[in-house]
Amino acid sequence: MADDQVTLTIDDQTVSVPKGTKVVDAAKSVGIEIPVFCYHEKLGPLGCCRMCLVEVEKMPKLMTACTMDVGPDMVVKTTTPKVEKAQKGVLEFTLLNHPLDCPVCDKGGECPLQNNTFKYGPGDTRMDFHRAENLKAGPLSPVITLDRERCIACQRCTRYSEVIEQDNALVMHNRGFNNEVGTFNNEPYDTRFSGNVIDICPVGALTNSQFRFKARTWDLTNSDTLCAHCGCNCNMTLGVRTNKFMRIEARPNDLVDDGWICDKARWGYDFLESKNRLVEARTVPDNGTMVFSSPTTQDAAVRTAEAIKKIVDEHGPESVGFIGSPYGTNEELYLYQKLFRLGFGTNNIDHKTYADSPGLPIDHYDVSEIETADLVLVIASDPTEELPILDLRIKKVVTRHGVKLAVLNDQATLMDKYAHLSLRYNIGSDAGVFAALTAAISGEGMADIKTTGIKADQLKSLVEMLRASKKVTLIYNSSALTGQSVAVLKQLMAMIKNIPSIECGAIPAVPHTNAVGAMDMGILPDYYPGGVPVADGEAIQQTWGETAPTQPGLSAMEMIRKAESGELKALLVYRANPVVDFPGGKQVEEALKKLDLLVVHDMFETETAKLAHILLPSNGPGVDDGTTTNIGGRVQFRKGGLKTAHPPDWKIISLMANTVSEEGDGINYITSFSVTDEIAKNVPGYAEISKKSIKKEGMTRVSSASINATGAVSKESSPPKPEALKLRIANYLFAHNTILDATSTLAHHFKPSIVHMHASDAKKLKLKNEDDVVVVSGDTQVSAQVEISNRCNPGGVVLPNISDEQGVWGLANSRDSVTWVEIRKV
Amino acid sequence: MFAFSKEAEKKIEKILKKYPEGRKRSALLPLLTLVQRQERHVNPDAMREIGRRLDLSPAYVQSVCSFYTMYSNKPVGKYLILFCINISCQLNGCDELLAHTAKKLNIEIGGTTEDMKFTLHREECLAACSGGPMMRINDTFYENLTAEKIDQILGSLD
Ligand code: SF4
Ligand code: SF4
Ligand code: FES
Ligand code: FES
Repeated sequence: MADDQVTLTIDDQTVSVPKGTKVVDAAKSVGIEIPVFCYHEKLGPLGCCRMCLVEVEKMPKLMTACTMDVGPDMVVKTTTPKVEKAQKGVLEFTLLNHPLDCPVCDKGGECPLQNNTFKYGPGDTRMDFHRAENLKAGPLSPVITLDRERCIACQRCTRYSEVIEQDNALVMHNRGFNNEVGTFNNEPYDTRFSGNVIDICPVGALTNSQFRFKARTWDLTNSDTLCAHCGCNCNMTLGVRTNKFMRIEARPNDLVDDGWICDKARWGYDFLESKNRLVEARTVPDNGTMVFSSPTTQDAAVRTAEAIKKIVDEHGPESVGFIGSPYGTNEELYLYQKLFRLGFGTNNIDHKTYADSPGLPIDHYDVSEIETADLVLVIASDPTEELPILDLRIKKVVTRHGVKLAVLNDQATLMDKYAHLSLRYNIGSDAGVFAALTAAISGEGMADIKTTGIKADQLKSLVEMLRASKKVTLIYNSSALTGQSVAVLKQLMAMIKNIPSIECGAIPAVPHTNAVGAMDMGILPDYYPGGVPVADGEAIQQTWGETAPTQPGLSAMEMIRKAESGELKALLVYRANPVVDFPGGKQVEEALKKLDLLVVHDMFETETAKLAHILLPSNGPGVDDGTTTNIGGRVQFRKGGLKTAHPPDWKIISLMANTVSEEGDGINYITSFSVTDEIAKNVPGYAEISKKSIKKEGMTRVSSASINATGAVSKESSPPKPEALKLRIANYLFAHNTILDATSTLAHHFKPSIVHMHASDAKKLKLKNEDDVVVVSGDTQVSAQVEISNRCNPGGVVLPNISDEQGVWGLANSRDSVTWVEIRKV
Repeated sequence: MFAFSKEAEKKIEKILKKYPEGRKRSALLPLLTLVQRQERHVNPDAMREIGRRLDLSPAYVQSVCSFYTMYSNKPVGKYLILFCINISCQLNGCDELLAHTAKKLNIEIGGTTEDMKFTLHREECLAACSGGPMMRINDTFYENLTAEKIDQILGSLD
């Protein structure tokens, strides 16, 4: 709109930008560089360094371009002699106490101070005095090095801490010449997002301790890639030198990450060189099926395909199955489901143990839609621990854009602090709450909510908040819901959509990297790719041919059960670790042991891999190319970086497919993008996705409409024993597992096992803070320490999953209903 | 461990009432002042306590505390002397008077007497330039100083 545009002249160029734009950004938009130090577009103006001085007609003094809004008909000059003199002067001052460190400084080659000095600096100094001496290089945290001598006190890092992470953990101490960056009492600055200060520091004061002195920045081969740790799919740059991992930096993509990454991205890639990596294919010789002990991966893949095929021929297609991973790429998952459906004729395909189905009754919102909503409703999701970058985005819109935040969860999260309304339901009461909310919105009056832990007036406030909003973004984590309540939640969504004044969309916030992609690619027993139900025979045969199976297959948990009973003979597990991550623990292990053939295709020697008859190594992120679909439905390219002679997964899978396909039927893909192209052809919603279309900032795929979800609120289960409590397993970002192993750079974040309980339950059980207890369910026990808190309502406990070793999932029997546990003092 | 005295608690109650809902961080300087008066310095425990009450990070409290020279991180004497060394006072000979004061108290500038009675600090302009040279002792300004006057003032404090 013309009203919101301002036209001005910068260096004789006419520039038209939205009202409120700073002169420095307006100049940038037409390729005119105004040097800055303290200014950063995500932090907003401060005006402390004076690097950005420009001349503005009719203004007597030089102005700071970073603090000045554009004005109509403004005439700005950035290269006049007056400006140049000022720039020289400012730089001379900035450099007064700066050491001549460039030859030994990690920032060298990508340092704004170095660059600005070369371009605009005085070339000499009149400083004859002794320079101030200060801390040279000390740990600001176990992963960040601070060099106070290099600091130019621009305050970018401390303002990041204040404005973005909003914890004010990093601050400026003292004043004037003694101004210095620091923390409270010199405690380590080790927050979840601390590493971003390294990227934004315009000098070499804050550097990555892991990368220190490893390479000169200009010697790095940088690969534009994505983080593979969670469903945010933040953009990052992977720096490699001589085929060795060097470092990770943020690569801003506003639509995805808003310019930041969390510390798990920056320092969570030690796994690339982990000792636990599977490097060679292996077969277990005495398994009967297998003949060689150290085959090549190609051989092992061919054997795998033949062996599974043989079992299919002998016992029928329902005797084999595939458990995939929400961490695989779209290409890998697509090929695997195709192999199992068309190659082996089975729909025994799954990737999860909780209930969910593809499609939404409302729009699937892209992450950036959070910014334009006026209400964000977070349901059962803990963004801070599960999808960290979402935490920053939500904080931003709430504190700076006036967006309202409502939280509906069974556990306390850090979001509560920012929420205008935060409702805590009893563990396991999710379906009841959703149903009550649906009834309240539809005007059917308040359903019975006595047992949910939420009061009628609280629910009413939430309904009022909803009704008062124009645009609602719903963020929900179906993997934190119990039983079939996700279906009830979808009915609630449909109901919200019915309020005529509301525009509404949802972001499915399952934490895993490609959870959305795994659903889209049909890693489900009852849906083909693109959310096509197996019952839709016609559509399926059209795309997948006459032989494509149309009977629903077994879910992952059913496959485990059928393995136990002997009905399932062969299982291929791809980048999943059911022994640790599936409900059942030991039982899962026993079941898998009964299989005639267990193939594990993974990057690591996991607990499940130990049981395998055939092991196929997977290169995984950092090496293999592929696309993933983030929580906002945005498909992006995750490029490899490190090179290996070992074949990528998509090749291994297509080799298996070609092995079992009829003569001449095989397809030879040239790159991962050949598979992407096939996905575009065969998967509804992905038609527009191609190498080209996703190149710059990715592209959202079209979400499938949800098949009318029916989910009744099941009766609340009653405690097996009066003192039993309901268990909620929570996520912890820096859990100690295969990805962050004992040697991880992030090991200082590992936590002990803690069980959070309400004071009233603790009193009943005669427990106090720090008591050592075991959390017991059946014959599984998990050790923990008691922490009395308001993390959940009375009647339940929250147990964060802090490590693989802790084995929390062993406590659960299934996800069909809530798990009851006993807490026993030891 | 740090705890506010009873009187301080009463004052805090009053101070907090001055600021509207959601703006209690404005009480930071008054609370720091209370601590400084009570303990004659502000230690990390007190900063933590203030942070807890005002919903501020302890780092933020420390940042503000270290910015202002009227808060100190180690205990100061019963009488804190802030001696102006800025331009007007300097032109009127503050340097000699400051040296004189230090000698008289037998301490370095920035130091505290052994009996914890006096602490002597340099200070920038205290906005009493017309009366320079000047110093501030606790809450009182003493202007148009001479060596004799200083001796007399110091002698009169107990
Ligand atoms: S450490 Fe870097 S970002 Fe922080 S104030 Fe110093 S120069 Fe600026
Ligand atoms: S938020 Fe998720 S995707 Fe983004 S950097 Fe962190 S772990 Fe990686
Ligand atoms: S960039 Fe404008 S004052 Fe620092
Ligand atoms: S110069 Fe001493 S009071 Fe101003």
